[in-house]
Amino acid sequence: MAERKTVILPCNGLDKALGVVAGRAGIVACAKDPGIKLVCPVLLNSGEPKYDEMVKDADIICLNGCMTRCATKLAESRKIPVKTNLLVPDMVKKFNLKPGTDLVLQTSGVQLPEAIADDIITSIKKDRESMAQEIHSIEVEDKAEYFETKKDKFYFKVPKGAYLFNENDCWVRVFGGLAYLGISDFLQNQVGDILYVDLPAIGKEFGQFDEAGSFESVKSVQDLISPVSGKVVAVNNQLASAPELANQDPYHKGWFVKVELADFDEDKGLLLDGPAYFEFMKKKIELEAKKQH
Amino acid sequence: MAKEYDASTEEFMGVPRKKIPWWPTIDYNKCTFCMECDKFCPHHVYEKRETEQRKLVVANPYNCVVFCRACAKACPEDALSFPDKREITKLIKEMRGV
Repeated sequence: MAERKTVILPCNGLDKALGVVAGRAGIVACAKDPGIKLVCPVLLNSGEPKYDEMVKDADIICLNGCMTRCATKLAESRKIPVKTNLLVPDMVKKFNLKPGTDLVLQTSGVQLPEAIADDIITSIKKDRESMAQEIHSIEVEDKAEYFETKKDKFYFKVPKGAYLFNENDCWVRVFGGLAYLGISDFLQNQVGDILYVDLPAIGKEFGQFDEAGSFESVKSVQDLISPVSGKVVAVNNQLASAPELANQDPYHKGWFVKVELADFDEDKGLLLDGPAYFEFMKKKIELEAKKQH
Repeated sequence: MAKEYDASTEEFMGVPRKKIPWWPTIDYNKCTFCMECDKFCPHHVYEKRETEQRKLVVANPYNCVVFCRACAKACPEDALSFPDKREITKLIKEMRGV
């Protein structure tokens, strides 16, 4: 299955063994998982244009050899949003593998990049699994109970659970201090079969009603207009290979973006709960139906 | 084609649509009248004026869906602009507060 890209930006500092380990760990991770791409920090710093495409919409992991954090600083200077910042000294402690000071890595220094690469690959997998579990628990919590209506060609359902909506037909579901965002059943019905979903980069920040992604259907190109302000912490990788999930299950498996909320107390004042959105939409549909008759 | 839209009866977030200044502005220094935005927008915000110098105008501004900027993405010349979303949100909040 085509997954969202992960890109590793190592510092590759050659003045310390720790920097050499960072570079080496990046190379090993790419060799072990073809879904991971590597950015050369020297080439990136020189303004190499090929990286613009590579880092776009990817999960960026900065791998820093030491506290100077050159990889993270480089990403900041190139305005690349970072998902995770890793420090090799933390990994030294975690795996109890000391690389020594020799730039030509010896014994532990050779094992350490292997351990770091495995750790990165495992955490990518864990991230995906834990989100699938969260969505499943939201599904269970909702017990799949919906308000449903049909008028002419307009059919839609609204979950009775703890979803909030804006009048642009996008929803937010707060879960464990974070929140999932997606499009409503009405919107997916209106646009028809969704063929492509464009999701924001991890780390991107946006205000309430800003675009938090867009999608292309057989009929049109539209934005997910975010009901809340926040920062992207994850996106639904499954939509890359299965955009139809946004049609089939818009409130659960078809979620778009997971965010860290910035000011939910303020934002929620402008949102509708499920029953209010359902009533609002019924009126809107009556009006649309009248216009077309 | 959809019938004439009557914005006077429409509300957005509890505020009369006509009180929300949200619609695209065409930069005529950039616009080449390729009509991509008009082809794109299902709400008939734009209208063609074949015989005039400005061959495309924003004819039905209140048809524009508040916070939607999708037509700007369809414009190859970057000739379409929209108001600041934060300003509009602030305005809506103020009007809702009344």
